[in-house]
Amino acid sequence: MSGVAAGSLSDGTREFLLCLADDEHLMGQRHTEWIGVAPFLEEDLALASIGQDELGHAAMLYELLSGPGRDIDDIALGRSAGEYRSCWLVEQKCPDWSDALVRHWMYDTAESLRWQMFEKSSIDELRGIAARALGEESFHVMHAEAMVAALSLSSDAHSRLAHSIAELLSLGVAMFEAPAGELDAIDDGVVSTSMVTLLPEWQQRVDARFGEQDWAAVDTVHQNGRTTRSDSFAPMYDVMREVLLIDPEAKW
Amino acid sequence: MRIYEVFLKRDGKDEFRHAGSIEAANQQLALVLARESYARRAEGDLMWLVDRADIVSADHSFIAPNADKPHRHNDGSLVAARRKAQREAAS
Repeated sequence: MSGVAAGSLSDGTREFLLCLADDEHLMGQRHTEWIGVAPFLEEDLALASIGQDELGHAAMLYELLSGPGRDIDDIALGRSAGEYRSCWLVEQKCPDWSDALVRHWMYDTAESLRWQMFEKSSIDELRGIAARALGEESFHVMHAEAMVAALSLSSDAHSRLAHSIAELLSLGVAMFEAPAGELDAIDDGVVSTSMVTLLPEWQQRVDARFGEQDWAAVDTVHQNGRTTRSDSFAPMYDVMREVLLIDPEAKW
Repeated sequence: MRIYEVFLKRDGKDEFRHAGSIEAANQQLALVLARESYARRAEGDLMWLVDRADIVSADHSFIAPNADKPHRHNDGSLVAARRKAQREAAS
């Protein structure tokens, strides 16, 4: 396939790619918040390491979107809240370990489907980023799966996980809402299909792991094509920009 | 939970070396967590996990009696010194 130069991305495609980049950025941020307070040391290291991978994916995408006068730090941390395109699932604080684990499972299961949309992308760099991300995602999914599988054997943990699933299911479905710019991205050949076409496969995996869900009863979350932020965003945004506010010259 | 001993081997002729241990609920989790705890900076090329319960071990009382046997430390130096002296005497 002939490659399209990353410098000539359409505005719609840029907006679409920002969704994936912001998801990875915020997910990485949320995972790393467990450093020092995860339930046990090995999990502490594992989640932080997975979070670093996600931040790495975000950095690669931000790099692709950067240009003269707009470096990757400007894109990652220099935008106003309304300019972010994250889904609400990754914005949640999830201070309960069970919620954080279920969110990790939901997100990485979606990721491993989502990156496949770029395997035939018209943008050379994106095919490379997707291949790298998919390689890492397989370990993220393995980690989430193994942890959930082991915990599901205990009745207490099983009921806590079920509670977390019920709590987060609508936000999980909302990950697949068509983001702003998606139609342009498809037209440009950047991505092969709309996100929502991946939803049935994701739902099937949720059913297989956590038991059949009543999908018809799941509330619709109104993210407005990811142009509005959830209540959880503002406090996280302040934490993310803490260093930048002290030293505007600081580099990520 | 079970305790696993983690061994890593670098690429090439190095042998497997003990990297540390890890506590995990099962083999699958032990592998995933050992990967993040001991090999996240590519410290090894191959990894072994051994359930600590499967290790056949011996303690001090079993090994220590062998500490007092200098005659087992024969490095051949006495023979070498005598032969050297003979060579020098002959020349």
